[in-house]
Amino acid sequence: MVEWQTLINEPAVIAAAVLALGLVVGYLVGRLNEELLQASGVPEAVEGTPFERTAQSIGTSTVEIVARLSSWFIYGIAVLTAIHIAQLLDTEAFWLRVTGFIPQLFIAVLVLIIGFIIADKAELVVSEYLRGVKLPEVSVIPKLVKYSVLYVTLIIALGQVGVHVVALLILLTVYAVGIVIVGTVAFKDFLVSSAAGIYLLLNQPYGIGDEIRIGDQTGIVQEVDLFVTKIEDDSEEYIVPNRKVFENGIVRMRD
Amino acid sequence: MAGLDDVFGDLYASIDAVLLFSPSGSYYERFSDVDDLDVIVVGTENPVNADVFVELPLAFDDIKERIKFGLEGAIEQDLIEDGDQLVCATSLYGDEIDTVSRVRADAETHTGIYDLFVKSRAEPEVIKAVLELAIELGKKGQKGKPVGALFVVGDAGKVMNKSRPLSYNPFEKSHVHVGDPIVNVMLKEFSRLDGAFVISDAGKIVSAYRYLEPSAEGVDIPKGLGARHMAGGAITRDTNAITIVLSESDGLVRAFKAGELILEVDPEAY
Repeated sequence: MVEWQTLINEPAVIAAAVLALGLVVGYLVGRLNEELLQASGVPEAVEGTPFERTAQSIGTSTVEIVARLSSWFIYGIAVLTAIHIAQLLDTEAFWLRVTGFIPQLFIAVLVLIIGFIIADKAELVVSEYLRGVKLPEVSVIPKLVKYSVLYVTLIIALGQVGVHVVALLILLTVYAVGIVIVGTVAFKDFLVSSAAGIYLLLNQPYGIGDEIRIGDQTGIVQEVDLFVTKIEDDSEEYIVPNRKVFENGIVRMRD
Repeated sequence: MAGLDDVFGDLYASIDAVLLFSPSGSYYERFSDVDDLDVIVVGTENPVNADVFVELPLAFDDIKERIKFGLEGAIEQDLIEDGDQLVCATSLYGDEIDTVSRVRADAETHTGIYDLFVKSRAEPEVIKAVLELAIELGKKGQKGKPVGALFVVGDAGKVMNKSRPLSYNPFEKSHVHVGDPIVNVMLKEFSRLDGAFVISDAGKIVSAYRYLEPSAEGVDIPKGLGARHMAGGAITRDTNAITIVLSESDGLVRAFKAGELILEVDPEAY
């Protein structure tokens, strides 16, 4: 009985036990993760993205990679704990740094994987959305979206592992501000028109079939949408931006 | 099998073009290797991204109709000419192409269904959606009973000025478009109401319960059709709209444009 007691107190035995426990828990968590991801429809969501295709080609899948990652994370902790208990490495400073670093690395890798998938997915969605526009130049936009997402991901991941990302952040800010400025300049009229269009659609001061005058154009309303109002007289059809409606006011014709 | 080629070879000897009806991607690929052959893809959509494509307005079940409308569309787009010898490959029993027939293009049998879709004011998708809706309504009816319905599509501003409300417009201040998922149910319910549905070029349902007041002068529609068809036909003469009418008595769906009957389909056939 005493022998057994001493055996329990032996650091090597405890370390082995911790290691074994870690392996079991890690495996279980991995499986659980996989089940959870499957159940929440992740395979369908990532289907068709290049990341998933690459994963498929090397005989695995996104779900499996993420699940494995969580397993490895726990294995890693178990191994480190075991080493610590067994006192194989007696460097307290190293220990502190490692324990701090491992979760960060884990999160960084996770962020990278998720970032890649989101980037690919965003590219797919945007290109699908733009497929109706048959212009070769348009194919740049999905790529741009993809690399923007990847860039943000990279910054988050690097920030996570403690690399200084201030320069990259500044670059990102400049880029974002640039997009906002270009966007507002380019789409100013659209924004104003759509704001007016929302009012027109909600309140319907005029409807299809009414005869109205906007500025110099008089005719029967044929269509009201978010950006334009289409009015038509006997020979001409005017497509009037909705902001004109607010600038000039509407005259409803009564006969 | 060389013997069979001698017998069936006549089918595809000295033809001007091949029409593939809804081919699968790999099937279409096989044709791109054949030299000196005009391949025209026909179908309700173009999944193989063929350059030469004729869109069918409906997935015709009847193979004769399918080929007829395919040819008419191709003639309309100047892809083929009157008198061309054509081979049509289509599917009769399964989803795969299993039937080949040789046809001569005939510009005489012009039904105008392509004018209905392509040259109307309203957008082709809107017309297609309304046509499908009318066919579905004709198939199922309202609670098992046959219903009639009258849809006026396009040129809504003018139509509204040539009609008057029979009662309160249930679509007042609403923004429903044909093709929205809920709309089919709504229109089915409202089809009990008398009067016409007015739908704009972009597919917005402007009004129900409209009494059309066109001048019926010079409208030539087949005798025996009722007031609904007469009103539907006449409004297309007065305006640039088209009308799609579901007959309550014989259950057929008819389309009018410029005062003429240009399409007659039996909902049961789809």
